[in-house]
Amino acid sequence: MMTTILLTAPVAVPVLAACGYAALGWRRGTAWLAPAAAAGVLAAAVCLAVLAADRPRTGLGGLLRADALTALMLLVIGAVALPAMLASPSYLAAERAAGRATPADARRYGVLTQGFIASMALAVLASSLGVLWVAVEATTIVTAFLVGHRRTRNAVEAAWKYVVICSAGIALALLGIVLLHFAARHAHVPSSGALDWARLTAHAASLDPDVTRIAVALLILGFGAKAGLAPLHAWLPDAHGQAPAPVSALMSGVLLSVALYAVLRVKVIADVALGAGFARTLLLIVALASVAVAAALLLAQRDLKRMLAYSSIEHMGLLALGTAIGTRLAMAAVLLHILGHGLAKAVSFLAAGRVQQSLGTSRIDAVRALGGRAPVLSFFLGAGLLALLGFPPFTLFATEVAMVRAGFATGLGWAVTAALVLTLVVMAAVSARMAGMLLGSRPDAPGAAALPATGSAATGLRPPRVLTAAMGAGLAACALIGVTAWPLRPLLDAATDIVTGVSG
Amino acid sequence: MSAAGTVGAVAQVLLVAAGAPLLVGVMRQVRARLEGRAGAGVAQPWRDLRKLLRKEPIAPHGTGVLFRAAPLVLAGAALVAAGVVPLVTTASPLDGIADLFAVIALLALGTVFLALAGLDTATAFGGMGASREMVVLALVEPTILLSVFALSARVGSTNLGEIVTTTLHDPQLVVSPVSLLAAVALAIVTIAETGRIPVDNPSTHLELTMIHEAMVLEYAGPDLALVEWASAMRLTVLLGLFANLFAPWGIAGTSLLMLPVALLAFSAKVVVLGGALAAGEVFMAKLRMFRVPELLAGSFLMALLAVAASFFLAGP
Amino acid sequence: MSGGLYVHALDMAVGALLLAGVLALWRRDLAAIVRLFAVQGAALAALVAVLGLHEGHAATVALAAGILVLRAAVLPLMLRRAMLAGGAFRETEPLVNVASSLVAAALLALLSFAVTRPVVELAPSPATRAVPVALTVVLLGFFVLVTRRRALSQVAGFLMMDNGITAVAFLTTTGVPFIVELGMSLDVLLAVLVLQILTSRIRDVFGDSDLDDLRELHD
Repeated sequence: MMTTILLTAPVAVPVLAACGYAALGWRRGTAWLAPAAAAGVLAAAVCLAVLAADRPRTGLGGLLRADALTALMLLVIGAVALPAMLASPSYLAAERAAGRATPADARRYGVLTQGFIASMALAVLASSLGVLWVAVEATTIVTAFLVGHRRTRNAVEAAWKYVVICSAGIALALLGIVLLHFAARHAHVPSSGALDWARLTAHAASLDPDVTRIAVALLILGFGAKAGLAPLHAWLPDAHGQAPAPVSALMSGVLLSVALYAVLRVKVIADVALGAGFARTLLLIVALASVAVAAALLLAQRDLKRMLAYSSIEHMGLLALGTAIGTRLAMAAVLLHILGHGLAKAVSFLAAGRVQQSLGTSRIDAVRALGGRAPVLSFFLGAGLLALLGFPPFTLFATEVAMVRAGFATGLGWAVTAALVLTLVVMAAVSARMAGMLLGSRPDAPGAAALPATGSAATGLRPPRVLTAAMGAGLAACALIGVTAWPLRPLLDAATDIVTGVSG
Repeated sequence: MSAAGTVGAVAQVLLVAAGAPLLVGVMRQVRARLEGRAGAGVAQPWRDLRKLLRKEPIAPHGTGVLFRAAPLVLAGAALVAAGVVPLVTTASPLDGIADLFAVIALLALGTVFLALAGLDTATAFGGMGASREMVVLALVEPTILLSVFALSARVGSTNLGEIVTTTLHDPQLVVSPVSLLAAVALAIVTIAETGRIPVDNPSTHLELTMIHEAMVLEYAGPDLALVEWASAMRLTVLLGLFANLFAPWGIAGTSLLMLPVALLAFSAKVVVLGGALAAGEVFMAKLRMFRVPELLAGSFLMALLAVAASFFLAGP
Repeated sequence: MSGGLYVHALDMAVGALLLAGVLALWRRDLAAIVRLFAVQGAALAALVAVLGLHEGHAATVALAAGILVLRAAVLPLMLRRAMLAGGAFRETEPLVNVASSLVAAALLALLSFAVTRPVVELAPSPATRAVPVALTVVLLGFFVLVTRRRALSQVAGFLMMDNGITAVAFLTTTGVPFIVELGMSLDVLLAVLVLQILTSRIRDVFGDSDLDDLRELHD
């Protein structure tokens, strides 16, 4: 009973919050419902992490299932959703003050973000590949309106591309699911559970290799589209650039990882059914292509939020690379990287969103000498970017080093070297822009002064206390996990066992 | 080789030779009535031919033997095709060469000669018509081959007689995706090959749009009569072939008694198809020349899909 | 349903599915594309019904009725309303001209026949033999989605893709588990709703639904 409540809570709490917003609207009294719901998700995730670290738990007639990997993903969802939701009240207040959002828009924002969190939680909790697909597609539908919420030309364009590319990509994944189901039925998996992860993994050895190969290729391509991996990555910079900052944080920090979670699960099945080579080759190709695309387009990037979006593509590429390497060390690094990237990206997007709201633009060349004008904000923006670039003491440093070591140990040194070189390009491009934005001593330079500042720039640039606390907590967690994986170690070990196929 | 087969073959050649202008007459009459005109009557094409045949033969200056030979080759090819294709009987003594590829080559031969004659006149229209005709021919030929090939794959032979006979014994075959796709493809190429709307307009002399008429613009007198007659025969043969590939009922085998029935059935089928074609033309506009490849690419795709389906789908 | 008739009906339904897809690729008239989409939905419903009757699954036959309502009536009506509201009735010149895209479609058909060989070989039956045709429909839909410029044609392409996938699902294993099927249909319906709303927003802010105007976001 307790298990069932814990399993349903990550989905039910945000759904209830969404109902609350639908009924009451977004007002002073309900503004804190969203962070409360996110905190609820995080709490449930922590409990599940304790509960499921030793053995998987199921609930709701086998519909929901939580193992260590699920718990870890729920932790990521909760940990990123909490700061994002904490930042939402001040974000919406600023939008309202600038006249860009009506009360109806705020109400819709409340309902949709909660629906978004709920469907991501459902995606990782689903015991069946089919339900996972439905939940992932649901995230596309829910976030479409969040991306297009400003109703400007750019926002509508981004929303259209987002829905069309993601829906088409995810349709390919559906085709893969259908074929996997076909293979499973012919491997004598009973119909009722032919798409269950546990059953599929258990019967993976008897799946027909040829059909499974097509299915795995489609699944990796399809969920890869949703994870922002090349070649179907074109929607990502537009959508992440146009969405409201807290939503960008959620999309970039967790949604991509949720799609990657599906790839991780598929790879376990593929490795048993086809041997390690097939999924590895496929993942290597998309990984290197993604990192290369990100590096190339970051070189000439002029928009702050799009820069962060391309950084997401780069990190997804690195995660795919780690998954391709596939050893215990690499997979543990991948899982930790997901968490670290989520936190760092959330902090960066929230800071960037604040900058955008205060200055009325997110063009990089319009942001000058931020360090002098807004020390707090520029500290978080700078620290977030440094974390994303993989500087110690943040998590991403430790995990990237681990991936490199694992890569050289498995004879994939060439791929790791290529990725490292491209990462270096990314680092150069981002740090050059970062220096331009944060440093300098002329707050009234012609470029900056000429731009219209919506709201009062002086107060706008100082983040509200809650936002500061949220970003601070995110950065601190990212650094803490980077220095010592405590207290995640038992959970991480169990999850690594699952994604390396040691235990179901 | 049976007596009935021989009689049937002779009968179908005679029927096509005599009936082809009448078919054109019927089609013009249908069109006229649908457009609210009285029409010139079904026998008008024959009257036209008679008038043309009485005139003295005349050829433009500078044309060579090709120009004079083309109408003969065209008519000859059409006559042989009329004898070979299983229109009235499947037991024709010429059945041995009633191969799909041979028939297509025969019909193409006539077209090529006509195009050469168009070039031979060295006039602007002749050359233009010839080049357009070659474009259409180049697009049509592969489609015809593919679609009849799709139909022949399930029979295991490219012999037209055998394809028709098999369909006759196993009527279920007609209602299958293969037949469906091949029928659409063949219908389009038949229209293109016989120079009907929407690919070509048989009654226009507008320089921008004509294809067939441009090639024969310089012909007069008995030569023109021969070309017109041959074109009518081509139309009849292709319509008859189309009808018998998808609805072979009524065709005569080795029985002599079936022959009158078969003649009637064939005439009825061709007249119905021709009437439908003419009626369709009333409601359609001619395609612009650069849209024609689109139409033909579409029919090629259908034919290709028909071939693929005939190999991959489970037969009943 | 007896053997011969079953195979026959199955082949006809699959053939109609494919024919509607090819014709949709061919036509530029948006109204015709919507009509063809409705025809394709009906063919899909017929396909599912035939499979259900053959296997004696009452649930599958009921599902066929649901598919008929959703894909041959509800979705086409929605598309039609979007088209009438949009005031644009013809596809502008697609990215790839029609003749080339028809040739490309031929290549896609061959590709799908080559790719699905293992599926047919794993369990040869009349139903799995039709899988390549259904996959061709998926690829045709994808092609329409990629090359068309009108918002409405892109939606129609997406839906055709989905029709093809549903056909593959039923041809391989008589459908995925019920809850997944339900979720899939719901998702498709919602996706179309989203796209319809976005179409009207595109018209509001761009004044047209020609997606070529959507090129402000780029690097």
